[in-house]
Amino acid sequence: MTQDIIAAATGAAKGHAADLKQYVEAHARIIADGTKQIVSDRIQNKITDDDLRFAFDQIKESEATSLLAIEVTLKAAAQDAINAAISVAEAAINKAVGIALL
Amino acid sequence: MICPRLLTASVGAAALITSCAAAFVAPYDETTDRLLTDLSVKTETAIAKADGGKLSEEDRAKFYDEALGTVRTMKRRSSLFAKNEDEIKAVTQLEQRFVDLREHGSSPRSSLATGLRATILAVQQIQIAKKRSSVFSARLKKSG
Repeated sequence: MTQDIIAAATGAAKGHAADLKQYVEAHARIIADGTKQIVSDRIQNKITDDDLRFAFDQIKESEATSLLAIEVTLKAAAQDAINAAISVAEAAINKAVGIALL
Repeated sequence: MICPRLLTASVGAAALITSCAAAFVAPYDETTDRLLTDLSVKTETAIAKADGGKLSEEDRAKFYDEALGTVRTMKRRSSLFAKNEDEIKAVTQLEQRFVDLREHGSSPRSSLATGLRATILAVQQIQIAKKRSSVFSARLKKSG
């Protein structure tokens, strides 16, 4: 049963792990593209030094929200892994007692 | 025939398992996700117009008013669910990004809206995680 529980829990967390990888990559692209755009706009005098400082401050501020997104994803992954493990345990108990007790 | 001791142990385990079902995040809310998608589309449209020099001051003011209205609606809705503190914080930070941009007084062009875009993406990731979890929970209940 231990192996079944481990398989169920890790299987449940795998989807979240793939989502998290996608998110981190997309986030990095936004920051990289934005930084290029900031430099380009400043060189072309489309924005001022004050705008440039503002833009970088906003990027720094946005990191707090990224951290929250990662935290929620990890919590959701933990929730699914635990509930998957519980489900396997429930099925084992039902099988052992011979009735659908749970 | 079921052994009485096994049955007692099973009932005990059942009570323990039922009471231990994990719930660390609020359930997925389709309305919040839809509001966020609408907000994302409006934001990208405004950024494209600003980059092309086609966002008038009137359009800009209207964009910020509507965006803040949407974000505040999302925040109120998020507060209706238990275990949703992280999302409420994230949406509050999203609101602040719009307020900061508006108070800075410039057009929301790509270069200035990078922080805003990253914040929207973070809130979208929260919706994705919650949706995956809700789908998973529904599948577990169905198979159980």
